[in-house]
This record gives sequence, structure tokens and C-alpha cells, in this order.
Amino acid sequence: MLGRMEGDYDVVVVGGGPAGLAAAIGARDAGAARVLVVDREDEAGGILLQCIHAGFGLHYFQEELTGPEYAERFVARALDRDIDVVCSAYVSGAGLDSDGTRRVRVMREGHGIRTARSRAMVLAMGCRERTRGAVHIPGTRPAGVLTAGLAQRFVNVMGLLPGRRVAILGSGDIGLIMARRLTLEGCEVVGVFELMPFSNGLTRNVVQCLRDFGIPLHLSTTVVEIHGRDRVEKITVAPVGADLAPDLARRWQVPCDTLLLSIGLVPENELSQALGVELDVVTQGPRVSSTLETSLPGVFACGNVLHVHDLCDYVTEEALLAGRFAGELAGGVKRPRDNIRVVPGDNVRYCVPHTLAPGREHTVYLRCQRPLRPAAIRVGDLVRRKLGFVTPAEMITFRIKPDVLDRFHGEARRIDLLGEPAGAHLAGAEP
Amino acid sequence: MSPVTTTLTCIACPIGCALRLTHEGRDIVELAGATCDRGAKYAAEELVDPRRQLSTTVAVEGARVRRLPVKATRPVPRDRVLEAVARIHRLRVRAPVRSGQVLVEDLLGEPGLAVVATRSLGRVGP
Repeated sequence: MLGRMEGDYDVVVVGGGPAGLAAAIGARDAGAARVLVVDREDEAGGILLQCIHAGFGLHYFQEELTGPEYAERFVARALDRDIDVVCSAYVSGAGLDSDGTRRVRVMREGHGIRTARSRAMVLAMGCRERTRGAVHIPGTRPAGVLTAGLAQRFVNVMGLLPGRRVAILGSGDIGLIMARRLTLEGCEVVGVFELMPFSNGLTRNVVQCLRDFGIPLHLSTTVVEIHGRDRVEKITVAPVGADLAPDLARRWQVPCDTLLLSIGLVPENELSQALGVELDVVTQGPRVSSTLETSLPGVFACGNVLHVHDLCDYVTEEALLAGRFAGELAGGVKRPRDNIRVVPGDNVRYCVPHTLAPGREHTVYLRCQRPLRPAAIRVGDLVRRKLGFVTPAEMITFRIKPDVLDRFHGEARRIDLLGEPAGAHLAGAEP
Repeated sequence: MSPVTTTLTCIACPIGCALRLTHEGRDIVELAGATCDRGAKYAAEELVDPRRQLSTTVAVEGARVRRLPVKATRPVPRDRVLEAVARIHRLRVRAPVRSGQVLVEDLLGEPGLAVVATRSLGRVGP
């Protein structure tokens, strides 16, 4: 029920975005009778509410929905299952009782601080955007420098335009989508500048959001200075070499009043760290077992707090699983500990989960470091499968059958991505 | 009519094949660069009637937020996207509104092409 929080819970989910809602549903469907979702915004749905473009649900609903539609369906599904959802609320901590249950402290507007006992917890706090400080752009500190997702909230929810003449640093999907969005709202988008020699966004977004509107994409180019006293007046950009260092001799200036940053996302793990959850230095999310359980027994993690996904449907898939395992644990199901470590090998940036157990099918998510085409994935010395094409912008989902793990010996499995380096297949400045 | 060669980036999947198509008017004579069948389908559609999905927001009064997200129920012709947006942006909506509620019928004069709300907003205040 919306707004209800009373008694003890089987599973408490932190975060009411796509991951939290799906985890709650997964837990409920696995038999957990009492499930609570805590969200800090005044309405559940998370960032989906500001992602007004289509492209959500192709995997899960077999139809293409916008973000708000996807969120509304999930909130309805959660409430239909008698899951409790409280908004304008924070989980500010959790302790462990001697009998193994947790006491979750919830701080809620208008209700003060309350503690709920829970057998399991799911962390689903999502991620946040990297800001100017993360990439150290020199120059003045005027108004008009903001992250692409913040601009998205301004435009799509609050009805505010961030500026009139906009440059975008970084070609992540949010930046590309905002290039189109601001164009439709009457702004002039003067260019997208990407440090790497390839786009960090999905190809279809480069075509539909930039080329359709004649917005130039400058690959291997970065912003080297921001000018302006009170308001951004212009930026200086420069091409970068293979070492990613800017070639200042070839710099040029771009007049603009706004600079949007679409330079990556970071899992939001302050609560995880306060709880004592062990994090992976690469994903910056918790280290998890094959049941998506963190280093703290009974505490699970899923969605962008675990590792940054590129498609919401994958978040949903992962969160349903995390919720299921949390619900099963709350119901008393005990599983043997994992005994196979997953080791990222050649051209693999990370793999999630971090460990596997024999006897079950597993879904392993991984990201490559460089684009390859054709590409193949190799697990240990027994599995090798063609993938066609891999790029850092696209998460790779790989299913490992139980019989494969049964044939393995030893305690660690290395995963490699092999293949031919693929060039920048989307040519740079050509609009 | 003499054959013309055009290049397109296929958006059917993440590979983004560079398609080189030679066509006479609306007939594709030769297609190169596609690594699967979807490239041919994409090229044919893109050549004859390129369309794009369209979503934007409109002003809403009496709700907790100031913008209501909306979408066109079918893809709109690529070259008329800005015209369609200009029409949609003239809308003024008063809450309450339901997701799926039709706000414009026959957008751009195309029968069955509607603009609908994509979220529900309750009434707040007077």
C-alpha cells in the first residue's frame, strides 16, 4: 500500500526506481509476504519519470514504452501485490540483531524516524552523474555548466530551459538524448564533443538524436577551458591524441551559454559503505555473489547501484533476480556458498557477479574495454562463443549453463574477450 | 532516372553498419555494407518514408509538476518532426490527466496519428 509502513518486514528495498520496484516484485513473487520499498523522492519511479523518450520495455513488456509509462506499470504491479511503498523517506542505517534479522532505520518526512525489522535488504539506490570536478575542466566557474541528467529534469519535469546555445561534453546516451530534446525545445545545440575515438552512446541515438538534426559529433575532442564570468560565454575545445592528451596547437573556440556534461555515471553507494558492504574498485558497486548478495549476509544489490547498465530492461531482469533471492532467503532457503571466482581477463573491464556456484544457470554481465569486431568470449579453456561485435557502450549479457561449470576444476574462472580491434565506425564530425 | 548512391548508418542494431545504397527513385538497385537482412529493411524504409518516434512535454496546470510528458502513437515523418512538435507545444493541459489520454487526434492531418499523455497526474490545489 502506498504510504504504509508498519510492523516487521521480510524484505526492505532501498530505492523505488526500476531496480527497487522490480526487486520488491521479485521478492513478493518468491514468497516474501511483507515487502517495503523506501524512496527519497515524493513519488516512486526514479529517473524513469524524466526519461520521456521511448525505448523502454522491449525486452520485458515486448513493446516500446516511454520511461514514465514503464514506471507507472511497475508502481501499479508493486501496489497490486500489496507491497508497501513509502516516499519522501531515507534509509539512514541498518543494524544486525543477534537473531540475524536487521533493523532498518527509516527517516520519513512527516513521520520522523522509525525502525523496521527485516530479514533481508535489497540495495537499489541507483547512480548519479559525474560532474565537472571528476574531469577537472580548467577555466572559470560561471553558471551554465550542468550535468545532462539535471538538464533533463529541468526540461522534462520542471519546465525550465537551461540555456539557449548549448555545447555537450561526452557522448553518453543522456547527452545524445538531451541534444535532441533541447533542439525540439528550440535551443541551438552547437556540438557534442567526445574524448574517445568512438561514441559512448548507442548507435541509434547518434543517428536519431544528432544526425537527424545536423548536430556535429566531434570524436577524439575535449573541452580544455570554460570562459565566462557570471554565465558561460564560450568554451575552448581541442583534439586529443592517442594518449588522450589535448593538442592545444589545434584548439578552437565555441561560443555557447551552456555546457552539458554527459561524462559517465557512478553508483551511489554511500549507504552501502556506511553498512560496511565491500565494493569493487572498477564498478564502484558492491561485490556480489551469484545470488547478488553483497559481502554482508542478507543484504543484496541490483540495478545501477551495483554497476551502471545501459538498458533499463536489464536492470529489471537483474533486480527481479536479486529480489527473488532476497525473498527466498527471508523464507529460510539456504544455499551453499559460491566456490568459483570470476576473473576479468583480456579486454574485460568488469564482470558481475563476482563469484559463481556450480549446479545453477548464471547470467554474467560484463563490459569490454575497447570495441572489437568480430569478437568472441572465452570462459576458462572450455567455452568459446562468437559475439559479433562488442563496444564499451553495450553491456554484454552472457548465460553460463550449469553443466559447463560442473566440468570446471579449480577455484577461479577467467573471462576473456578476443577479436579484432574495431575502428570508429561512426565517423566523427560528419553530421 | 539515373542511379544515385547514398550512404546511411543502419540503426537496426548496435553494430551500425555503413550502408551504401544505389537507387533509382524509390527502387534500391544495389545495397552494400549490410551484415544482415535487417539492413535491407531499414534502408528501404529510410529511403521511401523515413519516420521517427516522437516524444516531448507540454505545459500542465494544477499538477505537482509543470510538464506533462506526451508521445505520438506512431512514428512521424522525419522531415516533419519540428512541425509536429510546434503543434504539440501549443497544448495547455489541466490536471487530472491519465496516461494514454488522447490530447491531439490526427496529428499533421494523418488519420490515426494521435498524441497521448505518457503519465498520470492527479489534481493538486484549487
